[in-house]
Amino acid sequence: MRLVSVAVGIWLMAAPAVLEYAGVARTVDRIAGPLAASAAIVAMSEVMRGLRWLESAVGALLVVAPWLLGYSLGPALNSLAAGGLLLVAGAVRGRVSQRFGGGWSALLRRSAARRDGPA
Amino acid sequence: MAPAGTPPGWSVNPSSWRQRLPIVGLALAGTAIALYLALYQWGVLGWVWEPFFGDGSARILDSWVSKVLPIPDAALGAAGYLLDAATGAIGGHARWKTMPWVVILFGVAVGPLGAVSVLLVVLQPVLFEAWCTLCLASAVVSIAMIGPALDEVLASLQHLARVRRAGGDVWRAFWGRPARADRQPPVPGRVG
Repeated sequence: MRLVSVAVGIWLMAAPAVLEYAGVARTVDRIAGPLAASAAIVAMSEVMRGLRWLESAVGALLVVAPWLLGYSLGPALNSLAAGGLLLVAGAVRGRVSQRFGGGWSALLRRSAARRDGPA
Repeated sequence: MAPAGTPPGWSVNPSSWRQRLPIVGLALAGTAIALYLALYQWGVLGWVWEPFFGDGSARILDSWVSKVLPIPDAALGAAGYLLDAATGAIGGHARWKTMPWVVILFGVAVGPLGAVSVLLVVLQPVLFEAWCTLCLASAVVSIAMIGPALDEVLASLQHLARVRRAGGDVWRAFWGRPARADRQPPVPGRVG
């Protein structure tokens, strides 16, 4: 699923040139694209998998942007499709096979008790 | 059973060379790319390799953003990658525990460099209507380093958190010094 988000992110960077649109839709896509792709690349690491929710967050923004910012039809459809894909891709956790001593949330626990026995 | 040096509760050792060498390799590749771009920005090279975007690389590398700082931004990037490579290479295969300060410096070097890279990728088309192939390549390198580098940072932070919960001296542990003999932790047997 991370690869889907990387592909969608790269597409968003290229889309304004390929589909020839300008204005606010172009700016939004050129910011959202690198953000989504970068989040997905970092989230490929199992220890940073939580960052996949940034893919979904960018996706949600792309889904609502056409209404809020008044896109024309082409960029609006592109934004809806790309946003929907990111929304779903970010929600899929993917395979996590390693253990990390309780992960980042273990840093916030106060007691010494650890839930990191043999799985 | 996990090999020696593996943090408690982990299935892999994030400080093993197998985990770290690819990151050091990426950092050195980033250093090479950034150094090449800096040579252009310094005027040592009269042209810059750009296979896809016409004069895109030149427009990006000569833009005002690249001159915000006293030295060209690619030179700063090269220094950043070099710091990544150095802090990635220092220390043995249990350095998450023996040298938390290096591991955390490593994370501080890799994280922000990656964040700045994402920012620069956004600025290229938004401000200048141009793309720069090697700048994008260098950004991919620095973003690819973030995930693999941060697992080691997590192991070090968990180690320091264990020391703190056991009543130990976090500052000493940060520098990798053993707990003082005259100040035993109040709760024995809890230090991982």
